[in-house]
Amino acid sequence: MRKTVFFAFVTALVIVGGLQAQALPPRLEFRHQGLRIETTPVRNHVEVSSIMTLLGGEAAFSASAGVWALSLGDHLVQLAPDRRLVLVDGKLTEVQDAPISSPGGIAVRLGFLDDYILAPFGFHLETIVGGYSIVPGVSSGKPVTIRPAAADFSATTTLVLSLDRKIEASVEARPGGGVVVLMPGSGPRIESANRLRSRRVRSVVSGPGRIEVDLSPGVGLISWNVLTGPNRIVMELGTVPPTPTPAPIIVQQVTRSGPRPIVIDPGHGGPDTGAIGASGLTEKALTLVIARRLAQALRNAGHPVRLTRDGDGGRALTDRAAVANRLDARVFVSLHANASTVASVHGAETYYMSLDDRASDEAAQSTADLENRAGGSFVQESSALELILWDMAQSEVLNESARLALRVQTRLNALLGLKDRGVKQAPFVVLTGATMPAVLVEVGFLSNAKEREQLASPEHQQALADAIALGIGDFLVGR
Amino acid sequence: MKGRLIVILLAGLAIGALLAWLLVTGTTQVTPVEDVIFAEPPPTATPAPEQRITLFFAGDDGLLHPEIRTAPLPEETTARIRVVFGELLAGPRGALQPILPYPAELRTLFVTPSGRVYLDLTGPPEPLEGSATELMMIYGLVNSILLNTDVIAVQVLFDGTENVTLTGHLDLSRPLVLNKDFIGR
Repeated sequence: MRKTVFFAFVTALVIVGGLQAQALPPRLEFRHQGLRIETTPVRNHVEVSSIMTLLGGEAAFSASAGVWALSLGDHLVQLAPDRRLVLVDGKLTEVQDAPISSPGGIAVRLGFLDDYILAPFGFHLETIVGGYSIVPGVSSGKPVTIRPAAADFSATTTLVLSLDRKIEASVEARPGGGVVVLMPGSGPRIESANRLRSRRVRSVVSGPGRIEVDLSPGVGLISWNVLTGPNRIVMELGTVPPTPTPAPIIVQQVTRSGPRPIVIDPGHGGPDTGAIGASGLTEKALTLVIARRLAQALRNAGHPVRLTRDGDGGRALTDRAAVANRLDARVFVSLHANASTVASVHGAETYYMSLDDRASDEAAQSTADLENRAGGSFVQESSALELILWDMAQSEVLNESARLALRVQTRLNALLGLKDRGVKQAPFVVLTGATMPAVLVEVGFLSNAKEREQLASPEHQQALADAIALGIGDFLVGR
Repeated sequence: MKGRLIVILLAGLAIGALLAWLLVTGTTQVTPVEDVIFAEPPPTATPAPEQRITLFFAGDDGLLHPEIRTAPLPEETTARIRVVFGELLAGPRGALQPILPYPAELRTLFVTPSGRVYLDLTGPPEPLEGSATELMMIYGLVNSILLNTDVIAVQVLFDGTENVTLTGHLDLSRPLVLNKDFIGR
């Protein structure tokens, strides 16, 4: 028995020791411009301070921010232990593996080191015997980063694919519709594709050596150019003669025929209940009831109307304005019911879109201009380009949205005697990217006892719907 | 036999401890570059001077209202933001209502050279409701930070993630600037 215990114990020790030895990586050597360091990784992570020493850069820790700042030349990388975030030259990126705390301060995995520290500094890792050499340039296998942006005009759409470096590329129209961008030898990686808003461009997705651009039916490639300074591919898209193979209609129910409709969006839906009143009344149910009443009131006035949902089905926030865009709607109205931690707050409000990122860009631009290196950075160039496109397409829409918001809010105040909490601007997700006058109406507060009772009554719901319909009608007069 | 067992046991434990120590700490040899010490900047001995700060809290009208108080406000931006956040978390001293609907913790702060701040907070323990709750919380934070520091825009993250929205309304995937629409008179 004692022998058995003894051998079991020794076996366990050998296994544990073996596992630990296997987890320990070999000592790694890093070389750079005639210098070398040897390091034993910490839990398979590499000490960042050692690498910065080798590169001749600086690493400094801010205790109040909890962040390490790595700087070399004009470039700045900020990272924090146990945080899956890294800020590279002012651009925030979520990463798979968080850096860890280490005796030297902070340590990262090799992939992190290559992608988020060395790449911004203009280097990459090359394997050598016993370690790595840090050499200038971009790794040949590194994907090209692409940021798409689009601007819709009355007859055409300009699609810009901003590139983080110069590449060889060509653009072709696909036989069945859409466009393919061929970039042999590149593994494209698309960033911020979810911010792309266009009524002619449905999606931009990457594949090996190519980018697929899905377009709305009837839209095709008019012209394209690969440009430098900054590196980008610019496409002009617009109506083209129908091809023998029609493009598939992906969302059958939102394909428009006839006059331009008014699109009503009952907020929330499906598992997203929105606010819930003490009586159990949910925001998603209330907005659907009012939306149906509003749709009927508008139809009675002779307007074609479509709902983004006519049941309890959920729909992504970012898809609601897209529905209105695809239908080429005259007006987009998103209905919501409010809630506040302050129980006394009550009243109806109408919001329209604000461009906080634009204001932020403008404010940052003067500072950034001074800070950027002579050639400029990819991030700032892309932002400036997007800003111009966004400006061109959105200025008129915003002015119209402000007028629509005012008309609706005026009617709500006049007909219902609601306290006027005013027309306000904020960057609401559901309004982002709408290419027509668009507002979000908060019909009242479910968190206020008196207003909750009113909102539950069919008469009040009808009065709200009538008021909003009259406001929309006021806005559309003479258009 | 018993003595041998003890010796083997101790040797095994010693080897295990050594392996564990190497695993956790690691070692680095740098040649010919001299060792460089990367240390935190020494804490300032003198406390930051008391200064007037303007904080925004929620009023009964559902809008933000300023509350002016004094607090030790350091020069350095991130330290300054931590003070402002701490004062907001402590809540209003007068008749106004808190803007933070739960005791959020400030996890990390990233400040870009162009003056944008990424404020990484712990997320709400339970889903929040209503655009008003979201607007008061986010613009209470944004407006208070912008008025008391030299930053130009604030993006709020939760649990280290860039969120599209918190309650299904406000777009939090981008930095926000001062919004006067939600400041009451």
